[in-house]
Amino acid sequence: MLTATDLVFRASGRMLIDHFSARFEPGRLHLIMGANGAGKSTLIKLLARLLQPGEGRILYDGTDVARWSERELAQRRAVLSQAVEVAFSIPVRELVMMGRYPHFGARPGTEDLHICDEVMQFFDVTDMADRSYGTLSGGEKQRVQFARVLAQIWRPLDGSIRHLFLDEPLTFLDIRHQIDFMEKVRAFAAQKDVLVIGVVHDLNLAARFADRLLLLHEGRILADGSTREVLTGDHLRTAFNVSPVLLTNPATGNTHLVFEGVNRNGNIPISTLAQEVTDEIV
Amino acid sequence: MNRLRILSAIILTCLLTGCGRFGSKVAGQDGPQRIVCIGEAYNEMIYALGVQANLVGVDYSSTYPAEIKKLPTVGYHRALSAEGILSLKPTLIIDDNNIGPDNVVRQLQALHIPMKTFAAKNDSLEGTKALLREMGAFFHKEQRAEELCAQMDREMAAAAVAVKKYQTTPRVAVIHFGRASNTYLLVGNGGGGDASTAGKMVELAGGQMAIQKQGMQKMVSPEIIAKSNPQIILMTEYGFDRLGSAEQAKTLPGVAETDAAKNNRIYRVPEHDLMYFGPDTGNAIGRLAQLIHP
Amino acid sequence: MSPSPGSPRRSDGWWLSLLLLLMVVTTVVSIRFGAMDFSAHDMAAAVWGKLSGRTDLPLDQRIFIQLRVPRAILCLLVGACLGVGGTLMQALFRNPIVEPGLVGTSSGAAFGAALFYVFGAMLKVSLGAWTLPLAACIGGVLSTYLVFVLAHTKSEGRSSIVRLLLTGLAINALCMSGIGFLSYVARDPAARSIIYWNLGTLSGADWNAVLVVGLATVLGLVPAVFFAKPLNALMIGEDEAVALGVNVRRLKWMVLAINVLMVAVATAFTGVISFVGLIVPHILRILRGPDNRFLILGSALLGGTLLSVADLIARVLLRPAELPIGIVTAVVGVPVFLSLLRSKEYLS
Repeated sequence: MLTATDLVFRASGRMLIDHFSARFEPGRLHLIMGANGAGKSTLIKLLARLLQPGEGRILYDGTDVARWSERELAQRRAVLSQAVEVAFSIPVRELVMMGRYPHFGARPGTEDLHICDEVMQFFDVTDMADRSYGTLSGGEKQRVQFARVLAQIWRPLDGSIRHLFLDEPLTFLDIRHQIDFMEKVRAFAAQKDVLVIGVVHDLNLAARFADRLLLLHEGRILADGSTREVLTGDHLRTAFNVSPVLLTNPATGNTHLVFEGVNRNGNIPISTLAQEVTDEIV
Repeated sequence: MNRLRILSAIILTCLLTGCGRFGSKVAGQDGPQRIVCIGEAYNEMIYALGVQANLVGVDYSSTYPAEIKKLPTVGYHRALSAEGILSLKPTLIIDDNNIGPDNVVRQLQALHIPMKTFAAKNDSLEGTKALLREMGAFFHKEQRAEELCAQMDREMAAAAVAVKKYQTTPRVAVIHFGRASNTYLLVGNGGGGDASTAGKMVELAGGQMAIQKQGMQKMVSPEIIAKSNPQIILMTEYGFDRLGSAEQAKTLPGVAETDAAKNNRIYRVPEHDLMYFGPDTGNAIGRLAQLIHP
Repeated sequence: MSPSPGSPRRSDGWWLSLLLLLMVVTTVVSIRFGAMDFSAHDMAAAVWGKLSGRTDLPLDQRIFIQLRVPRAILCLLVGACLGVGGTLMQALFRNPIVEPGLVGTSSGAAFGAALFYVFGAMLKVSLGAWTLPLAACIGGVLSTYLVFVLAHTKSEGRSSIVRLLLTGLAINALCMSGIGFLSYVARDPAARSIIYWNLGTLSGADWNAVLVVGLATVLGLVPAVFFAKPLNALMIGEDEAVALGVNVRRLKWMVLAINVLMVAVATAFTGVISFVGLIVPHILRILRGPDNRFLILGSALLGGTLLSVADLIARVLLRPAELPIGIVTAVVGVPVFLSLLRSKEYLS
């Protein structure tokens, strides 16, 4: 269980996170949404302890996160950032192995080598293992980064929860790999000792895969709960200033959002979808 | 800026290598003494005294008289190397107390290599004669030293007589090319080192130095030389040869506006005639007087 | 990095052994040849004589022991300092076109030396042969400290390294103009000394220098080896390195401290020698990739080797005169630097 209490973060005189409190249970995929500038990236960094809050506390499993050393933290939580710039040309295999750095001293053990092979297979980058990272495409690079990050927390710890934080990981991926990744992440998150919190831009992907949604607006929680509870017309209008049309696929039960336009001067665009397809015009 | 210096040093080195003075073999020196002498004035005097047979190596700046260029050079006098000097197997190192780096001097002392500096300084005519006598005593060429001193006196007297005939005291600017700093320097009047020597020579030749500042001035501002407006410009040979001709010399900053340039009175003068006092100074002053007066 | 099963690549150990062998061969050659060449017999006799405590050795042998051997060793040490300094800086700044002198160390040391040349005579206190290296070291440490104080920012973000680079550039420019000014106002002998010192020379090598630089090398190299893995993590960014458990702030300070120690001390004894810190890591990365666990040791070995070769050329090309070693390293370094700029090896 990850507990955040009264987090406050200020930068350049602005309050980016305004008394944020929430609890996150393991075994579920928690996704954070919000418009640009709502504070999503900052929040994820605070929860992952890449940033220190001005006020407030974060507990991992009842222990204050501040008590752990960097290395101890690194053994139980992994972070995937938005854009990773790799300065030098490294073979893919070595990059993935970096995910194991918190777990070995000078040289990796056989276990570490096995884990790398497994994660590379999981993300379908094994055939690039000996290639130089710089020669890969954007999407391939992103998958290599996934492999590295997951390698960090691939194996269960002795009863402790493993945390994974994702900061807009889908940026360079094509639609197939986006869906593929979200499926894998949800499967990974379903484990009892795994806690995944992510920021995802695409509302439809968030709607489809999240077990729990947090909608941020101006550094505060606007809505918190299931997809249905959070993705209402009112919430989306306030947070994004757009009016959605919510569709439910009767075969799967999945919710999909369609947007007709931006709200301007109080005028809400009307959808012209036929009645039988529409479940709800909001 | 460091890289610019390196570039100019590379060019300098190419010139050094090109001039073929490095690597000259020491041809059959049989005398019991093997002397490495560092200092252009000292070396000129050694040749004047006729004891050059014992020289096995000299510094890069020692270029006069012409035969000295056949000897191996141990490098620039402020950038020496102990091993280099010692590879010539000297029995004695003579220097004019202006050598470096300091470490090298210490190394030579630590190895107990005999080193000698003469007490007298050639910063005036009297000093030069004292130096000649001292060197003469050292090399057992006292008589020759006396001859040289007497010759100097005679030539100085003749020059003084010649100079008295002139009515005017033209303004003279001396431009010297500093190899280490890789730039043209305007020689001032007064202060220590070479500057005062050229100033004194010019005055002895019946002229006056165009700039009255101490030391050498880097010619980076055209105003320096234009304002001083010399009637005559003397350039030492290395710098003059780098430019190629008097016409080319006018391209230096501010030179074109001077009277000297307009009247085409830019002359090439060998360094040893102007920048330090030596055995030939009397003659040099005479030549100088002829040059600068109409 | 251990090779995966079945990989045809040679291990780190193989490469390090090769570099060690190269270094030994180069050292033997550079001990033998120079302005004077020593035969194997001369060298053996000299060493034996010194070890058995004789004080009446012939001059040749004394030259060998007092000048040649310390010089050869100093080459290895200074080359190691500059090479490792280059690797550390490039890892820290995540950029291959970075030299140890970039944070103000070399130019500060040069400025300290210039001050000594111009004002040294006025100092009442003189430490003999130690005054110049001390002045240079103080200059190097002060200017580096200045760069850090000016560039210090509370944020841990990427901007802090960029700010460091820019501040380093500014301080470098300040020091160089200071040196220029001092050269300008200096009396002639001092001015020329400044210029030649700025080109670097190993001619002042003696056993004292070997002792001090040797100490600095060991004090710097040993911790540097331990920083190899965290520096690897830094390759993917500061945030990512923190996420992998690296204390990035402490790493930055310590690596920079090591760099200052090694480079300032080395520069203090030999003057400014450029390009070694640039070329050595570059060559090793082409051969073996950017893993710092190999690079740090490798650049110590290769740096020493390259500087020995450069010094040999400097001593032999124009003998009995010597070329300033900075010229030799520049002649080799500039083409390497240019090829680096055009290289497709690096990403950013």
